Amino acid sequence: MALPLKVLNQHHWQNGLYPLFRPLVGGCNRSQYSSYRRPGTPPDKIPPWAKINFSFQKGIEGIKTHFGRLAKEARDHLRGPEGHPLKEYLLEQTRVTWQFRSEDDLNKWVISSDAEIGGKSEVYLKLGKNNQSAVLYGTLNTQVPRDGETRYSGYCSMRSKPRLISFDRKKPYDWSNFNCLHVRVRGDGRPWMINIYTDPYFSHHKDDLYNYFMFTRGGPYWEEIKIPFSKFFLSSRGRIQDQQHGLWVDKISTLGFTLGDQVDGPFQLEIDYIGLAKDRAHREECAYEQYEKNPKKKKTGGLFIYSTQACIPSAGSEY
Amino acid sequence: MRALGRRGSLAAMSRMWALWLMPAWELSSGTGTVVLQAASKQNLLQLRRRGALQDPRLVPVRNFRVSPVFSTSKIARPVKGDKKDRDNKDTDRSLVTVDNLFERGAKTKATFQEALDVFCKQDIRRRGHVEFIYAALRKMKEFGVERDIAIYNKILDVFPKEVFVPQNFIQRMYNHYPRQQECGVQVLEQMETNGVMPNKETYFLLLQIFGDKSHPVRKYQRILYWFPKFKHVNPHPVPDPLPQDPVDLARLSLQRMAADLDARVTAYQLPHVEVLDSGKEIEHPHITGIQSPDQQSLLARHNPERPVFVEGPFRLWLKNACVYYYVLRAELLPLEERKEEVIDPERNFYYPMQLDFDLERGPWDDEEFDIDEVEEGPVFAMCMAGAGDQATLAKWIVGLQETNPVLAQTPVVFRLTPGPRELQGRPDLEENGEEETVRSQSGLRES
Repeated sequence: MALPLKVLNQHHWQNGLYPLFRPLVGGCNRSQYSSYRRPGTPPDKIPPWAKINFSFQKGIEGIKTHFGRLAKEARDHLRGPEGHPLKEYLLEQTRVTWQFRSEDDLNKWVISSDAEIGGKSEVYLKLGKNNQSAVLYGTLNTQVPRDGETRYSGYCSMRSKPRLISFDRKKPYDWSNFNCLHVRVRGDGRPWMINIYTDPYFSHHKDDLYNYFMFTRGGPYWEEIKIPFSKFFLSSRGRIQDQQHGLWVDKISTLGFTLGDQVDGPFQLEIDYIGLAKDRAHREECAYEQYEKNPKKKKTGGLFIYSTQACIPSAGSEY
Repeated sequence: MRALGRRGSLAAMSRMWALWLMPAWELSSGTGTVVLQAASKQNLLQLRRRGALQDPRLVPVRNFRVSPVFSTSKIARPVKGDKKDRDNKDTDRSLVTVDNLFERGAKTKATFQEALDVFCKQDIRRRGHVEFIYAALRKMKEFGVERDIAIYNKILDVFPKEVFVPQNFIQRMYNHYPRQQECGVQVLEQMETNGVMPNKETYFLLLQIFGDKSHPVRKYQRILYWFPKFKHVNPHPVPDPLPQDPVDLARLSLQRMAADLDARVTAYQLPHVEVLDSGKEIEHPHITGIQSPDQQSLLARHNPERPVFVEGPFRLWLKNACVYYYVLRAELLPLEERKEEVIDPERNFYYPMQLDFDLERGPWDDEEFDIDEVEEGPVFAMCMAGAGDQATLAKWIVGLQETNPVLAQTPVVFRLTPGPRELQGRPDLEENGEEETVRSQSGLRES
């Protein structure tokens, strides 16, 4: 039942065998957001089929939710792209992707800290005053867990859950109409990092993240921070990559905020909403120019940069 | 052996050596004592001198090269029975000797450099330099040199030159001297985490040690690419180092938070110590506040029947320093009391005070977000004080009344959360507390 539907509803037809390769990239298991296994813990020997919950009650609930989602998808599909009428969709200049007005909105997010690798940071997420914003607060602790392998510690993060449509299929967001991320926050002066995870096709892309910094001013005023997508740089497993390319705006899976500034102490970040904007003055594709790794010409001295490829950064209006 | 990691394998190798060599030791010395110890260089030397390594099954074909330091040093054989002496020798022979170099004298830059020099002069072949460099990297923070480029260059200088440079394409293809390259990358990584920009000297050292296109040189190139890109990325930069004077620090942080060039910073009270006639000293903390003309006019329009609130302390982080501030604000007005400020069109005859043009070119020109933004009550002023008690903040309010006469008629409510400043307490309060404890103690004694 599920497989033909899966094949029918895949959005990326250009990837012919995409549904078949899907499991390589890691399934849509909602319970498992982190695959990190601490050093010293024995490997999981429970067979995967033993973890399946064969409860009848759960089955009924699953059918209800999934067919409910399917019906909603069908209705949205009839209405227009992404559930908006076509005219509205075409003229859309801004979109609010996440807002925080109720507990349901908070359930769309996952918080994590270095406690899962054995560190001592704490992080909590709650609704702010009058249920109007999300408050991410806690304490950062850079004490390194004594497991003999970990060298750095001290992070707290908040990450959105990937969007799931009926039958627990992932449906990445398509943000190709926009070119800026727009967040309204109130921080306490600490620098944060915004991480965007794109839905990977190959399994070796599964640790890729696009990052950029978010510096908060601090103080009692809200501030609006606008970051163009072109500024996001590619990193994998926390290391910036040499080959940079623009963000895959049409396959956005999750967005996250991470604090890891190596300063022990309490922190707080209030988020009003996270939105997207189209800045027609901004035409940059990728802010990071590329150089040849092994330039042909040999030149004496400390210079190693010889020629630039495309991607000339244009004047950005932000940061 | 399988379970051991790469780092552990070396120690395991030396331990294996010890096990191999033990029968030879026992045979030659004739003593039946089993001394399980790591085969240190001295040990091997002893064995070599005694000819125990003449057995071809036990000896690798290549001879040991002994550094001049070890060949001249005296080696005393442990005397059987003298247990104390032997223990001392055992500690001397321990493999971890590099840490001892850093334990001498005060922890300053000079002693750190001295330790590096001592190691470099000890042995011309720089044996154990990888372990030494790792130890030096660990000790840098202790010596307060973790942001010093000269020290990093000096650490890189410990590597022997031109030994690890690949000579042909096969060596270049494979990972040539991986342990040394890893160590070099580690030095650069520590520079990166401390925000130290490598310089030309670093580059030449790396070229000399590892050659071009090696991993450390690549790492250097990456740092050189990314550091200048992100150097000025912070739109709210903080001076480094931060000002020491609390009033200067308060001015800096208040201006940063207010984000208004018109805002005026006022020091309502400078920190000083008042000596009373009785010889008692009262410390007066600093009170520094900020208010902009907009905030003044907002406060002037505030209905005096509604109270204003002093709230705090709130945190503000300036790099790794945490400061606390207080806010004077009002509650959000209920909807029925809000009214739009109507500007009289005849207020100015020369130019209009309000412009209401329809400048939108079409339906695509709507750049507003479809959301009700969080609304909060207006902020009238902010302050930072050396102490967070109500008396200090009341002085701030008294100071504000000079420029804002409305504040004299408005009730001010202090809504202070117990923050870290509360722990300091006021001197008279502390005395009261002491009295109370004394009383309770005497009460206990009586009972």
